[in-house]
Amino acid sequence: MIEKEDPVISEEEAAQYDRQIRLWGLDAQKRLRGSRVLLAGLGGLGAEVAKNLILAGVKGLTLLDHEQVSEESCRAQFLVPVTAQGQNRAKASLERAQNLNPMVKVHADPDRIEDKPDDFFLQFDAVCLTGCSRDLMIRVDQLCSKHNIKVFCGDVYGYYGYMFCNLGQAHNYVEEKPKVVKPSGESNDGPKAKKAKVDPNETTMVKKTASFCTLKEALAVDWTSEKAKAGLKRTPVDYFLLQVLLKFRTDKGRDPDPQSFPEDSQLLRQIRDDVLESLSLNSDLLNDDFISYCFSEMSPVCAVVGGVLGQEVVKRLTVFSR
Amino acid sequence: GWATPRPQGPLADSISTCKVLVVGAGGIGCELLKNLVLTGFKNIEVIDLDTIDVSNLNRQFLFQKKHVGKSKAQVAKESALQFCPSANITAYHDSIMNPEYNVEFFRKFMLVMNALDNRAARNHVNRMCLAADIPLIESGTAGYLGQVTVIKKGMTECYECQPKPAQKTFPGCTIRNTPSEPIHCIVWAKYLFNQLFGEEDADQEVSPDTADPEAAWNPEETAARATASDKDGDIKRVSTKEWARSTGYDSVKLFNKLFKDDIMYLLTMDKLWKKRKAPTPLDWHQLENSGMLSASPGLKDQQVLDVWGYCQLFQHSVETLRSQLQEKGEGAELVWDKDDPPAMDFVTAAANLRMHIFSMNMKSRFDVKSMAGNIIPAIATTNAVIAGLIVLEGLKILSGELESCRTIFLNKCPNLRKKLLVPCVLDPPSANCYVCASKPEVTVKLNVHKTMVLTLQDKIVKERFGMVAPDVQIEDGKGTILISSEEGETEGNNNKFLSDFGIRNGSRLQADDFLQDYTLLINVLHVEDLERDVEFEVVGEAPDKAPPPQTNQEEVNSITNGNKDSAQPSTSSKAVRRDLVLCQKLSSQADRCAQQISPE
Repeated sequence: MIEKEDPVISEEEAAQYDRQIRLWGLDAQKRLRGSRVLLAGLGGLGAEVAKNLILAGVKGLTLLDHEQVSEESCRAQFLVPVTAQGQNRAKASLERAQNLNPMVKVHADPDRIEDKPDDFFLQFDAVCLTGCSRDLMIRVDQLCSKHNIKVFCGDVYGYYGYMFCNLGQAHNYVEEKPKVVKPSGESNDGPKAKKAKVDPNETTMVKKTASFCTLKEALAVDWTSEKAKAGLKRTPVDYFLLQVLLKFRTDKGRDPDPQSFPEDSQLLRQIRDDVLESLSLNSDLLNDDFISYCFSEMSPVCAVVGGVLGQEVVKRLTVFSR
Repeated sequence: GWATPRPQGPLADSISTCKVLVVGAGGIGCELLKNLVLTGFKNIEVIDLDTIDVSNLNRQFLFQKKHVGKSKAQVAKESALQFCPSANITAYHDSIMNPEYNVEFFRKFMLVMNALDNRAARNHVNRMCLAADIPLIESGTAGYLGQVTVIKKGMTECYECQPKPAQKTFPGCTIRNTPSEPIHCIVWAKYLFNQLFGEEDADQEVSPDTADPEAAWNPEETAARATASDKDGDIKRVSTKEWARSTGYDSVKLFNKLFKDDIMYLLTMDKLWKKRKAPTPLDWHQLENSGMLSASPGLKDQQVLDVWGYCQLFQHSVETLRSQLQEKGEGAELVWDKDDPPAMDFVTAAANLRMHIFSMNMKSRFDVKSMAGNIIPAIATTNAVIAGLIVLEGLKILSGELESCRTIFLNKCPNLRKKLLVPCVLDPPSANCYVCASKPEVTVKLNVHKTMVLTLQDKIVKERFGMVAPDVQIEDGKGTILISSEEGETEGNNNKFLSDFGIRNGSRLQADDFLQDYTLLINVLHVEDLERDVEFEVVGEAPDKAPPPQTNQEEVNSITNGNKDSAQPSTSSKAVRRDLVLCQKLSSQADRCAQQISPE
């Protein structure tokens, strides 16, 4: 899947990527260099992820967004020039995105993601969805994980944000673990020496396999089951907030808008009640406080979520997977 | 950003009207500037003394290739203005330690945010913010790890409340006689550079150390060796630079002295090699004849050459550096810089030759550069997360919610509680902090007969206690001035010993830094003997080389990086002192979060 056309990193790349090569190594950098990524949604979070992936040095990044640049868009993200109102958001972000790193092939696609056929997604090694509807994310997630394409989702709502990733049913990876020093046969060192010790300085690479659940499964937990009820206490309440916000997006075709604060607040309250009821959960599980904090994409929150999400994509693209 | 209409209320007003200062326009600084502008901050000042280097471009996204060589602060400002042309950004291409940036300057701001990479500047800004009583958000990143914390006078610990361990130094005899790790050879090679081409430093000797106590079969022998015979005296009396100059910087002569003659001398100190593998001297002409050309494909820097390859690299770099010196003229000195190719080549070659002599596997230029240049790996995402957290803490401060501020640690992987970001409650100021306590005081152990005033000034008051332009007087009833910040005034005292001024056990010195508005009382504890290579010790702290003592309730792990060079940027001619301190605290208190950094 990941191309290996040119195994040699050029001197130019070595100079520019020096500080990250010193962190994750040359092989990882080469794998990044062969990776093609799709990024849907160029809002605040999307712009952060775009920046992070372009700086990391992927082979290609496709910016997919059908939205038009509004007055707020210019203030919400840093790739769109203040003069670009009315233009397509992906196309308006292209120039600055490309300038972040000329060695990455950045492409802008103004289409609606809902209109894309299945095989559109298959040309990528990883797909990252922001600002997408619940149904679309579930569809893409299902399609991609079937084809071993890594799926990442994320959104920011005011002070809140989330990320999700699905690396398939049988994701092989290699993990660094501290070496366990087995005790020798002699007992002259005393009883302590008989215990296996962990040497923090020596690490060994261990092959592992992980199985990820689909987005559909993650969002469709049955909270009435005994197992789920037991896990409820440890489940961050933000999970339910996410359900509310995704429903809002499905119902209204947009996210809560400060310009419609009173109506949207009312609707959020209503959706919260409906969602919790449909899940057979107590209505005071999620109180009203969230309402004032979930409007628009807060820039520092986009930076944090975009950083974590971006790094997760980079990590999964560079992991040794056979 | 905030979609229109912007939220009403005092916070929004604060954001758009207040003045904030960003110290540093590098990895964290670029991300921070972007966040501030998009969040709606309108009055931002940014300061950085550095210029843009190509290795910055993987993360300092406000810079492009065409900007290499230009001022970071200036270009950062221009790029950030593109996001919001109506923002008011002032850029200073300058050092924050410049006296121009006095307490008055700092008082202009509601908030100061550090985006620094060295301890000296952090100490300084810490003191300025204490003096001006302005909240300071401190942060740092290294690889995947990061940390943010808030410092508010009287409410929280200051940056210097918890003693941070000084960088690791190696004993002189390890460097000069018995290296056992590549880093010893690299440090030796850097010393050699200074001895040959740069500022000669008595603490950076490269010749065999005849007074090495390990070399002596009995204590009396050490003393005898220390006073040196005529033969040894020759090696000592003529400085390395003078000797090199006398040979015309002949690379083969230099090679044979450093890698053959001096090694043969070390071999005569046979006790050193009783339990260690003895070094094997190299001979230029022998190697010349057996040398093979080995060029492999791939990145040049990643290759490990054979011995003859490093002989040639040594010769080539010596010749280039010799020309550089000549060009600069009489009395010229070069300053080592990892980004100066011949300087880096020289250290790579010399270190590798020494490694080979001492039976260590040689290393690529890439690896040597990491160690010699104290390079900290860095990526965009870690800086992005930390800069986001800085603004979020800043918003709490502007809302008057200081109690909700936290120290936040960014892990590489989620901890046992599945947390990647771990907040910890801020600690109150330390009662005996030698910076922020009401009457700061320390006790310093030293030998008053052997410590010069210059050492007190440079190594103790400036380097150890972070003063930039100190005045030191003796509390002897006469207020005798030992050190004046006015240039030239007390130069005559530099080479005198403290005892010459009547300083003895129990004497008290008052050190002031006017700019930092900081006074420190130093109690002198006279001792005859200190550990080898140690000039002074601060009482109440573990010696420099050992980690700080661990108490039951707190375990402080820190990751530090840095070298002894002063805080200068890598793109100027002096080496940068990278110092990122990440502290984790483990506490049994229920309201704190347990944190671990594991290799996973």
